[in-house]
Amino acid sequence: MCVSMVPVEKQKNMLLFLLLGLLTVGLFTASVFTGSVHIPVSEIARILAGGEPLRPEWKTIVLDLRLPRALTALLAGMALSVSGLQMQTVFRNPLAGPFVLGITSGASLGVALVVLGYSWIFTAGHSLPGNWVLIAAAWLGSGAVLFVIMLVSVRVRDIMTILILGIMFGSAATALVSVMQYFSEEAMLKSYIIWTMGSLGNVSRTQMQLFLPAIAAGVTISLMSAKVLNALLLGESYARSLGVNISVTRFTVFISTSILAGTVTAFCGPIGFIGIAVPHIARMITKNANHRVLIPATILTGGVLMLISDIISRLPGHESNLPINSVTALIGIPVVIWIIIKNQKFSKMV
Amino acid sequence: MSNKNTEMLSVTGLSIGYPGRGKEQGMIFSGIDATAGKGELVALFGRNGVGKSTLLRNIVNLQKPIEGNIMVSGKEIGRFSPNELARTVSFVSTERISVNNLRVTDMVAFGRFPYTGWTGKLGKEDSAVVEKAVQMVGLAHLSHKNINHISDGELQRVMIARTLAQDTPVIVLDEPTAFLDLPNKYEIVHLLGRMASENNKTVLFSTHDLGIAIQEADKVWLMLEEHLAEGAPEDLVLEKSFGSMFSDSRLTFNDSTGEFRIRKMTKKKIGITGSGRGLSWTKKALERIGFEIDDNASNLSVNVVRENSGKFKWELHSPGKVKEYDSVYRLCSDLKTGFSNI
Repeated sequence: MCVSMVPVEKQKNMLLFLLLGLLTVGLFTASVFTGSVHIPVSEIARILAGGEPLRPEWKTIVLDLRLPRALTALLAGMALSVSGLQMQTVFRNPLAGPFVLGITSGASLGVALVVLGYSWIFTAGHSLPGNWVLIAAAWLGSGAVLFVIMLVSVRVRDIMTILILGIMFGSAATALVSVMQYFSEEAMLKSYIIWTMGSLGNVSRTQMQLFLPAIAAGVTISLMSAKVLNALLLGESYARSLGVNISVTRFTVFISTSILAGTVTAFCGPIGFIGIAVPHIARMITKNANHRVLIPATILTGGVLMLISDIISRLPGHESNLPINSVTALIGIPVVIWIIIKNQKFSKMV
Repeated sequence: MSNKNTEMLSVTGLSIGYPGRGKEQGMIFSGIDATAGKGELVALFGRNGVGKSTLLRNIVNLQKPIEGNIMVSGKEIGRFSPNELARTVSFVSTERISVNNLRVTDMVAFGRFPYTGWTGKLGKEDSAVVEKAVQMVGLAHLSHKNINHISDGELQRVMIARTLAQDTPVIVLDEPTAFLDLPNKYEIVHLLGRMASENNKTVLFSTHDLGIAIQEADKVWLMLEEHLAEGAPEDLVLEKSFGSMFSDSRLTFNDSTGEFRIRKMTKKKIGITGSGRGLSWTKKALERIGFEIDDNASNLSVNVVRENSGKFKWELHSPGKVKEYDSVYRLCSDLKTGFSNI
């Protein structure tokens, strides 16, 4: 793989990573500097440098709202994209994404149980369950789905069977959620629906202490799996004949994907399309199948695309926000369509 | 037992079949005993569905045998660690690999997988091995081409180069000549033969191209109805094993020419005289259109004459009549139409 990494190509990759890095920094800065409340650039710089701004509330806005939000967008984009890449490689399917294993549906079921079930348990005088409870519920839900998938994948050899089972578990969870929605109160229903629209603004600075390490762990595992992911490009038979331990590999990749996609879903709700679209963009700009190049490129591109989506969703200069899920879909879908039309060979993309 | 030291691969009392439990488990073939030595090219023949692929998958440990032993350099295949096995046996399956943005050298470099560290980065030595493998299969000029943009024959060579890069004493290939045109079939089998003799590898491959394979193979494993027969191709011819491979079909094996032929309903006997090439090719043609060659045939015979100019002509003798032809084609068409009712 690196035989063909002739110096020219290495330089090209370096240049590409440099550009992506600069773009990430630029967009992150732009994200912190823009928002519905106008704060002068010099004041923001002062706040970031640790000084006191003209108005004390500006400090809260920048440090407690904008900064965590930009960081959340960056990390969520990275996490979803890299888990999408892993799923596309493991399942050798260009339409696979972070959620094919039914992780989101599991998380949704967890959240629905809490939000919608809450009104049944505490019949009167209820307030909405706290943020931490939602996070825990989503995590438990996706963890439960992962556990079942793991149990199955020990017994089932064929990876396509696992893919189909993942989709079936997901559909079953969605069906259960629909039943609960039907029987739940309006207020609870609304708060559940809002959760499904996704939000990057809910991760507080305290929660970031959990969010950041979880994403870092998942990304590290995936970076360390680059070699086996490369071998899986040839399919499981070839991978095994090259000495890959398939069970261990599946276990590692599933764990990493669940940590990444499960955490993002728990903190930000189900965010679609980034995970499917970004790995394809990364393949196109790197023109490389090697995961040692693809994973970093996917991580950076994912961060960039999510920052852009977030900036768009906040409609700079307006009071209101768009749901992040709609923005990622509206950005992600054209990308996928464009790639299909440009390549004409979507089935051979991975 | 005397040649035990040279046996790289040995299979004893092997039963193979579908994986599964209880009733689901299906035995395909049992009682397989076979060996392959160092530096030998071994061709595996057998009819569709007899279990060639299953046998090969068992040998490379992608599937577990129902019963019996597979030993590679004196060690039971199941006792190898995954990495150790990957350094001992390499495999080319029938699957046509298509990965985007993967170049020829990238694919060959996959062979270094068992030797590289956790990052998978190739060292200088690895790169040299890869380059050498690409050269051996004659693809140095394509080394930077995308594997989706090369021909089937070239891709097969790439997959073979990958096994060379994997540097295993045993190389197993499942139908490497399927879907290739005739020159490519010959080239691939010849390449496998070179790998066996020049690099001292044990190369085992399954194929249906019997005629090509027996010209190169040192040994043949022939999966018949009930057992696996092994030996030099010539041994199996002399034992009449090839003929029995197709005993239930209309195919017959001519054990002096080494050719297969569809058995046809013989309509009529015909005599033939002449000599040399003209005679043998005319015989073939007459058999093709359903005549049985019989030198005692009284009322119909062909005489092949070579004229001074070097051209051939054919005289057809029937009762009270002699007719001349200037080509086998004309002779045959007349025999098929005009004389079919004689």
